[in-house]
Amino acid sequence: MITNIQTFFQDLASSGINLTIFYDAFDFDRFVTGLGNTLLLILISALLSIVIGAGCAAILTLSNGFAAAIVRGYIALFRNTPLIVQMYFFYFAIGSIMPVGRNELGLPQPLISSFSWAVLSLSLYSGAFNTETFRAGIGAVHNSYEEAALALGYGKRQAFFSVTAPLALRFSFASLANNLVDLTKATTVAYAVGVAELLYVSNQIWSDSLNTIEMMNVMLVIYLVLTGAVVFIINRVEAAMRLPGFGLGDGQ
Amino acid sequence: MNQANLLAQILEWMPFVLQGFVLNILMSVLAIAIGTTVGTFLGFGQISPNILIGAPAKLATQLFRNAPWLVLLFYCIFLMPYQVNIGGVMIQLPSWLRATIGFSFPVAANFSEIVRGSVNSVPRGQWEAAEALGYSRRATLFRIILPQCVTRMVPPWMNLYALLLTATPLSMIVGVEEALGRTQAAVQAQSDSRVLIPMYLALLAMFFLYTWPINRLSLMLERRFRTK
Amino acid sequence: MMSLKALVLTAALAAIGFSASAQAQSCGDDTLCKVKAAGVLKIGTKDDYVPWSYRAPDGSFKGMEVDIGTKIAETLGVKAEFVKVTSANRFEFLAQGQIDLMIASASDTAERRKVVSFVHPNYYSSGYTLLLPKAVTATEWSQLSGQTVCAVQGAWYNKPAQEELGLKVQAFAGTAETEAAMTQGRCIALLEDDNQINVRLSNPKWADYHKPLPSQADTPWGMAVRQSDHAAPFGLAIAGMIAEMHRDGSLLEMEKAHGIANSAFLIKMHEALKDHIN
Repeated sequence: MITNIQTFFQDLASSGINLTIFYDAFDFDRFVTGLGNTLLLILISALLSIVIGAGCAAILTLSNGFAAAIVRGYIALFRNTPLIVQMYFFYFAIGSIMPVGRNELGLPQPLISSFSWAVLSLSLYSGAFNTETFRAGIGAVHNSYEEAALALGYGKRQAFFSVTAPLALRFSFASLANNLVDLTKATTVAYAVGVAELLYVSNQIWSDSLNTIEMMNVMLVIYLVLTGAVVFIINRVEAAMRLPGFGLGDGQ
Repeated sequence: MNQANLLAQILEWMPFVLQGFVLNILMSVLAIAIGTTVGTFLGFGQISPNILIGAPAKLATQLFRNAPWLVLLFYCIFLMPYQVNIGGVMIQLPSWLRATIGFSFPVAANFSEIVRGSVNSVPRGQWEAAEALGYSRRATLFRIILPQCVTRMVPPWMNLYALLLTATPLSMIVGVEEALGRTQAAVQAQSDSRVLIPMYLALLAMFFLYTWPINRLSLMLERRFRTK
Repeated sequence: MMSLKALVLTAALAAIGFSASAQAQSCGDDTLCKVKAAGVLKIGTKDDYVPWSYRAPDGSFKGMEVDIGTKIAETLGVKAEFVKVTSANRFEFLAQGQIDLMIASASDTAERRKVVSFVHPNYYSSGYTLLLPKAVTATEWSQLSGQTVCAVQGAWYNKPAQEELGLKVQAFAGTAETEAAMTQGRCIALLEDDNQINVRLSNPKWADYHKPLPSQADTPWGMAVRQSDHAAPFGLAIAGMIAEMHRDGSLLEMEKAHGIANSAFLIKMHEALKDHIN
């Protein structure tokens, strides 16, 4: 059956639509590796960025001192500069001054791989946006919930983590979905630091086989599917976490 | 002094990089202009009760919101011709212009969502009152709903602009001579790895100094316009 | 806000409109005629390949390929205008008309001939090999199978290096990035043109590196023109100029002037084409 598919695409190539990834084993391998790396990038960065976002939002709400100032500076920096420049800076500039280990051959071995730098950069970038999202969610929770908790004897921190935070999460889903879709699309930037993700391998394939248009179409379809999947997953999580009778509070 | 030498070297290349930054700003201004215009119509299309207008508008919005900006850029650079013949006059479309058009698509889609969101945030009562007073749907939209929406749309619109500006360096991958591409060329020409950190820091600073004030302004406007 | 938007849009359109040229229309498809009518030869070249093609702080292009392009434009009696191209867009720019001639260290391969035409004789040549630290004493390619090397995206030899020689290629956008990556230890060697490695080795900065492996697949570089220009006056004029530059030794001189050791290909071409009387 595989040879049938391969022959079909080879015939298609002679008629103008050249999709080497389906009939050339080397290109197919590369492409699958690229797709796999993209999926990993999305997954790990999404998780990290949610953690960073939630943590920073908590810091901003609960304290007003030094930690909050650092978080504010972090958000200002990462939201107002381009992701691609951030990634370049991390990988080439900071990467060049990091201590370098040695492997068995005695050759230098970096402590942090390009994939890790990309994940770090993407997580920090998306984390800054998530912080704003969670802060807006926290702001949308009506004061009365916190006051009621305080009246019942909860401490300020307890009230936040037990009452406000879970409610804020439910408010944040729409905006969070937005941010995660942006993150999914942003993973293409890792191409610039040599991570073998989808755009990188597609570029290599179309450099070799000169089928730029076909590869771009394939990429577009794949990213549309990926972003659709992200939105779908977030919607399912939201539905599962929905509290009956708890709405947005302005149903006059 | 080695340090002074390094600084002098980097300063020598700054005009070169700054010229590229001007192109980033130009692209962002044009793209936001085109995107806002097209996005407004797309947004109206989305809220239209007529399914022939509503469905394609919704589809276009979702398509361009979910496609990676870099992929859209590649499409525009490779599929748009370099020269077009309009009524006997040959007009050239340089790459930065095609990249700008490439950016306009997602900007339009995002703005259409902003329009839709802000129209939907106007309380139902306004529509009902207008209907009771005999306004047509069109008149209601343009004379009652929209004026209330404009202030709500400004903060997210400014956010969109900041997002757009920070996306413009992507165009260097398709060969546009903007700030990031020029920084790379400058780093390469100097063949000195010591300049890596300072030059990329300078680039980050350029973007930050331009974008951060816009962010603060947007926050300020948001506070002013917040409806209770 | 409305008038500002209109102002910006009008300014942009005016800037575009000014580059319209009615004169070029009477030339039809003849690139040579169009170039002479416009008085400008648009040449695509890279800007990160020292010393073949790179930038000066004032924004101008410098390098051996830039000198060749300038000489060609002078001979045609027009001005040379250099346009930066990257491996992602160089052939598309040529096909679309954004550039008329491409002198961007492009190897003349059969795959690429399906999309563009290369002008013959070829103006340069190089094989590919690895720049390795002196600590690595390999003498055969097979000894390095499975190792990671850094290369530039879009180079034609990235695929054969992986497929035939078993190397893992980590590709970056430009040579600055590959150098930085190697210094960080992300790869053990640079996979590049052997001439470029020669240039590096003549720089004391690379004193701890060497080039022990035999060069692979020596492939000539070609200047690219659109396929319609191959047998047209434009393509043939360029071909003649390249032949003349081989013949009178200009290419050898330009190579030396940019600190590159005279390559075997240029010497061979000069010997083959030089005057049999003088």
